Amino acid sequence: MSITTTQDRDTPEENAFRLKAREWMAGKLPPRIPGQPYMDWDDKELVATDRMTQRVLWDGGLAGITVPKEYGGLGLTRRHETIFGEEAMPYRLAWHLGNNYNIVIPVMLAHASEEQKQRWIPAMLRGDHIWAQMTSEPSGGSDLFGLITRAEQREGKWLINGSKIWTTGGEDSDMGLCLARTDPSLPKHAGLTMFMVEMRQPGMTVRPLTLVNGTRDFCQEFLDDVEALDIIGEVNGGWAVASTQLAAERAATSRGWYIGVGASLPRETIEIPDAPIRLARELGVAETQRARQIVGEVIALEALRELVAQRAGKGVDAGTLPPTIGGVASLASSTLNQRASELMTELAGPCGVSGPAEGGEPAQGIDRVWLFRIGGGTAEMLRNTISERHLGLPREAGPGKDVPFNQLRTNAAPAT
Amino acid sequence: MDVVLSENQTLLQQATRRFVEARHTVSQTRKLADAGETMAKQAWADCAAQGWIGLFVPGEHGGMAAEAEGVIDAAIVAEELGRQVYAGPFASNAVAAFAIAKSGSAGQQAQFLPSLASGDMTATNCFAGTGAQDGLAPTGLTATRSDGGYRIDGAAGFVENAAGAGLFIATACAGEALSQFLVAADHPGVTIEPLRALDLGRSLAIVRFDGVQVGADALLGAPGSGAAAFERQLQVALVLQCSETIGLIDRAFEFTLEWVRQRNAFGRPIGSFQALKHRLADHTAEFEAAKAAVAYAAKAVQNNAGDAAIAVSIAKSQCGKQGVEIIRDCVQMHGGIGLTWEHDLHFYLRRAVANQSLLGTPAMHHERIAALAGL
Repeated sequence: MSITTTQDRDTPEENAFRLKAREWMAGKLPPRIPGQPYMDWDDKELVATDRMTQRVLWDGGLAGITVPKEYGGLGLTRRHETIFGEEAMPYRLAWHLGNNYNIVIPVMLAHASEEQKQRWIPAMLRGDHIWAQMTSEPSGGSDLFGLITRAEQREGKWLINGSKIWTTGGEDSDMGLCLARTDPSLPKHAGLTMFMVEMRQPGMTVRPLTLVNGTRDFCQEFLDDVEALDIIGEVNGGWAVASTQLAAERAATSRGWYIGVGASLPRETIEIPDAPIRLARELGVAETQRARQIVGEVIALEALRELVAQRAGKGVDAGTLPPTIGGVASLASSTLNQRASELMTELAGPCGVSGPAEGGEPAQGIDRVWLFRIGGGTAEMLRNTISERHLGLPREAGPGKDVPFNQLRTNAAPAT
Repeated sequence: MDVVLSENQTLLQQATRRFVEARHTVSQTRKLADAGETMAKQAWADCAAQGWIGLFVPGEHGGMAAEAEGVIDAAIVAEELGRQVYAGPFASNAVAAFAIAKSGSAGQQAQFLPSLASGDMTATNCFAGTGAQDGLAPTGLTATRSDGGYRIDGAAGFVENAAGAGLFIATACAGEALSQFLVAADHPGVTIEPLRALDLGRSLAIVRFDGVQVGADALLGAPGSGAAAFERQLQVALVLQCSETIGLIDRAFEFTLEWVRQRNAFGRPIGSFQALKHRLADHTAEFEAAKAAVAYAAKAVQNNAGDAAIAVSIAKSQCGKQGVEIIRDCVQMHGGIGLTWEHDLHFYLRRAVANQSLLGTPAMHHERIAALAGL
């Protein structure tokens, strides 16, 4: 089914904005190329294109639609951003700068000093910097606030030592948010501080990670006396900043990480995905009962993913569903996606695990499942959140929140 | 149901819940089952007085179809009835009233709709044949021209609320095409063979047609036009079945959550163990997808939208599988008490399994989706 805009819902002012954006975009933005990934950090040309696009938006007075005017933005609403995105459907936007507008700007607006906001936000809108989030660590993924990268003050400088991982675009980023432990004698949430660091400096080693599907979007960093440039928020007040950061990530993921990518537009009819039908035909199994059952079920699962997301959005907007339903919809989406992926693998049988020697890697049923159930917080963490915050079930028993970090069992010095 | 309801729909939902919780709880279903009875005619007439069947019946025949969104409103009622494993002939009558209101002649409407709306008479649809792969197509009956009318032969399986019904809607193969007929239950040659049902609040039967001779005036709609009408009726029946399953899950999940909060083991509520919490989170997600699918299907069928056929099959796929999966796990989380006859859970599970298996299993609906998608 075709993607439609929501122009019929525009106010006169919104419609004027839409027409202005539409007229401006023509000829200035790069075209959207079907099949081109929204993000591919291995494609250095594409990263450069996106930096340039951000600059073009700034020069055209269309950067930072929802960012307050005093920091270089337009000070408009999410609705304007949606309109802008709809009009940008034929074009490619600055998607490699997603961290800037989805994460770092909201974090700075909430926690940075006036001076910091004046300095860094307009620079992001100009496309001067790409920001990275250095949050997770090799020693622990889900237990984020148990992180062990430490920062110490020496000769008036904050020096950071440790390792960070799952940093999207780390290699091509200019600046980074880095959460580090500044006081291990405090309970684990309390002794953290949010630093700003320059990504290119002595002591910082950035190494891309290759995932099972061949992508190289994530990096690992090794920090050896890396010097912090500044602090966002208070020393030992990093937990509050990181909470805003995580909330911004969840919000961006649920409304659509890439501005102008139509997935969040409401659909009027059930869309029939082409892939399972094509695969059944290509493999010559379209007349077998099991293949037909699988194709039908995959179509159902794809439709269910769309319907459950729409329902959550509509219910939250109308106030008839609590905001926690967003997590429920995410879990549903990843579960339904996994089932569809497993069914496609069954449908393909041996043809799904092999292919022509000169072809790409046969990855039927591999990539989608892993990314959706681990990336951005595992499905297990989501289940904890849903059961505790949405269903109101009691917390799992665990070590007290008041125990100093350096006395927690896994973090204490080994017994002698 | 949908996350946004009209004011009238909210009132209907609240009124139905109050009525059912006061008069027709699962305990009532248990009493009827223990006594081996089905709902008495007067009790059904009291229910019909709530206006449930009238949702499909025009004002001149005693209903309020003009003020209703029949399919969506009936789905709201079905969901409330599911919450209490209601044991009366709601869905079968609603679909029959829908069929007659949509396809019936003026005379047929005047003859049958008022008594269906008031609950004085019940009618039911013969949807399926009698085999294990039946449920989605009217494979059991044939009609041949005879004596200026038709002769109907064959057997319809799994007919709901046939015992006590005054009228059957029979869909029969007449050569290549399908035709629908209205046949009185006491018509010569019609016999009802009651079945013992897993669902303790549901009456199922085989209805046999042995040389049943009817006049042309028994035709519901034009001869040979039965396929499209049958499909629409099946769609409404599936929306009501799936909505009922939503109600079943909703209530069973509600009292399972209460249980895991109150029940203590090893010094803490069992609802604090991840082994249970993670499953409950998974069920919440699957249930949400089921609700989204049914709300969409109800609207699509109400509007006779182009994707209504595929929408009901998607709803059935998710409700059929998850209704059983979730309620079976509710039993598991209750432990031993969930296995007792005295606990209400088995009433919920029995109906969920029945709803999964009747009117096409999920696997049959997957095949139907593939066909509808052009494969």
